[in-house]
Amino acid sequence: MAEILQYVHKDAFLHRLHPLTKIAFILVVSVMCLISTNLAFLALMIVAMMIFAAYGELLVESLQQLKLIIIMSVIFILITVITMPNGDILGYLIPQGIPYIGGLVPVTTGGLMIGFVLTLRFIVLIFAFQLFLISTQPRDLVHTLDKAGMPIDYTLMFIIALRFIPTLQIEGQRIHEAQLARGFNPGKGFIGKIRSVAPIVIPLVSNALLRASVIGLTIDMRGYRTGTKTHVRERTFARRDYAVMAVLAVAVLGFVPLVLAQLI
Amino acid sequence: MIELNNVSYTYPRTVQPALHRISLALEKGRCIMVTGPSGAGKTSLCLAASGVLHHDYGGKKEGSVIVDGKNVADYQGLSDLARNVGVVFDDPEAQMIFTTVEEEILSALEYRGLSADVIEERLSRIMRTTYLEELKDRSPHHLSGGQKQRVALAATLALGNDILILDEPTSELDEHATKRIAEILKNLKASGKTILLIEHKFEHFRDIVDTLIVMEDGAITATGRPDEVLTNDHVRGMVLPDFSGIKKNIGPSAGKEPIISVNNLTHCYGNVRALDSISLTIRKGEFVAIVGENGSGKTTLVKHFNRLLSPASGDVIVNGKNTRDHTIASLAHDVGLVFQNPDHMFFADTVREEVAYGVKNLGIADADAVIDATLADAGLANSASLYPRWLSRGERQRLGIACVVAMQPNVIVLDEPTTGLDGYEALLVITILKKLQEKGHTIIIITHNREIADNCADRIVTMENGHIISDTGGA
Repeated sequence: MAEILQYVHKDAFLHRLHPLTKIAFILVVSVMCLISTNLAFLALMIVAMMIFAAYGELLVESLQQLKLIIIMSVIFILITVITMPNGDILGYLIPQGIPYIGGLVPVTTGGLMIGFVLTLRFIVLIFAFQLFLISTQPRDLVHTLDKAGMPIDYTLMFIIALRFIPTLQIEGQRIHEAQLARGFNPGKGFIGKIRSVAPIVIPLVSNALLRASVIGLTIDMRGYRTGTKTHVRERTFARRDYAVMAVLAVAVLGFVPLVLAQLI
Repeated sequence: MIELNNVSYTYPRTVQPALHRISLALEKGRCIMVTGPSGAGKTSLCLAASGVLHHDYGGKKEGSVIVDGKNVADYQGLSDLARNVGVVFDDPEAQMIFTTVEEEILSALEYRGLSADVIEERLSRIMRTTYLEELKDRSPHHLSGGQKQRVALAATLALGNDILILDEPTSELDEHATKRIAEILKNLKASGKTILLIEHKFEHFRDIVDTLIVMEDGAITATGRPDEVLTNDHVRGMVLPDFSGIKKNIGPSAGKEPIISVNNLTHCYGNVRALDSISLTIRKGEFVAIVGENGSGKTTLVKHFNRLLSPASGDVIVNGKNTRDHTIASLAHDVGLVFQNPDHMFFADTVREEVAYGVKNLGIADADAVIDATLADAGLANSASLYPRWLSRGERQRLGIACVVAMQPNVIVLDEPTTGLDGYEALLVITILKKLQEKGHTIIIITHNREIADNCADRIVTMENGHIISDTGGA
């Protein structure tokens, strides 16, 4: 099973980077892709991201969400085409030949443009966050954020939320099978769909709540919130971190004038 | 090291006390095993002895708990208590917060105010004593149940305590993994640790148990040296249940018509061949036990009987129907499958509604009468209006069976139906299954319990690495 957003243990370039470097990377990439509306520039960012992933030996892992990305892209583009018609008309979603409703939804250059920009931004962001999460051990993240002054409760909340995604997936699958064996029949129509959710969601949530109390006790007993911490096997800033930081700085310095000149 | 004096406890918003005037003394380097039926208050005892009840729960408390010479009330919270008492809870998954084994244990070591050298030294020692060295980079999702238990134990040991409390560490484990845990505990005891163990499998821990305590309805009903306590017939039946005499001669099953035929069945998960050309014929009215280590393909095999899984190659014929041509819903009339953890299916507000769900799905005639009869057979007639999750583990297990039995399938398949039950509860489940067999149902159980397989089943099928390696009733 593809494990969504889980740390993958490896010893490669991205794994060896300091978490702070990777956080800086995410920030720079996010701001750039949110400011830019230039399709070519955004596409270039995606290519850069893929090269980065390949260099960190994480290309296969980071392409796992491809299906989700494609589905979301199609939805984004459809929504903007329908809701934001603007510019030249290229054609119609409903062919003009059909009586009454023919020619109702025009496909416009403006709508397509916005759709593509949103999609590409979305892909860049997913890529960046995914690279960060699958290459950073939660322990290192706890260290880094702890030093940055982030309360440990928030960090733990974040890593636990991610950690239990696959657990819930597996458990959901088991519950689904147990109910199928009892003749579970996903209902028809809107009401039926909602009713058919109960046999899956109620056991899933009840079990998760029980588990949450044990997680809470475990955290308290291990003293994550109250104990004094000894830092061992710490990641230190190495030459590769300075190199990445330098690349980011160059990118920002190049990006600002281009934006001011309204080129991208 | 731990002393409970007349401890009584009532959970918030409940009336019945969970613990009633409990007194016990656990001396340094000793091991106490606590056993008893599900719902007897064993887990509450764990929480009381570790100070968790005092620091983390409301409710009504009486009596005193002394840990290492100091009243639990005088400790500064759980983190302080955990320096003296380590608790391994019964759900190992919830005790893994990080993403690799080594990270989990290392993180537990880091908050103890130790120097870096001591941390590294302890880390490698703990990894060694719990046999986790080779698994250090695995994620929780790639560990078996027994491995997860060992990680939970290791992370608890990392806290540096001399007293260990373990809440049913082996309930979901097979023979092999249970032996591993028993071996680790034996070594820990030899190194001076004090152990309070909640368990059903006395046999495996016979060597290390100094005192055996039996709990029923929140109170201690027997305590003493194991050989003394076990002279009592009632205790004996609970701890070392006798399943002999359950098997009745139903006559040679040969000649009866087959109800499930598996022909050359192969199934793969990715590159792993979970089942490799399996052929097996089960005849109507048989009681079959499928045994084998975890990962040998038992559950994968039975999931083919109602098409939760489809064969990669080969065929499964159930009651004359090739499963390829039928839906899971239509096969539910023929095969009922009860999974290992009954909590994966309960969602209704009452026990009765829970049983009614499957009956309604299949549109069975005379539903009310069928439901009443099933509840009575499962010994749940008086619990019909209760909320399913309030029942004890033993009752929930029987409810899980009732939910499937009420759908009146010819074949009833049960995955580990006696997990986490004491001797009497297990015997009750087996007796119910035996009655169903007498009514003409075919019963197939997956079990780790060799005793049950030998004494209750007409036929034992042993699996290993996706193959059937022995079959006592093969035609």
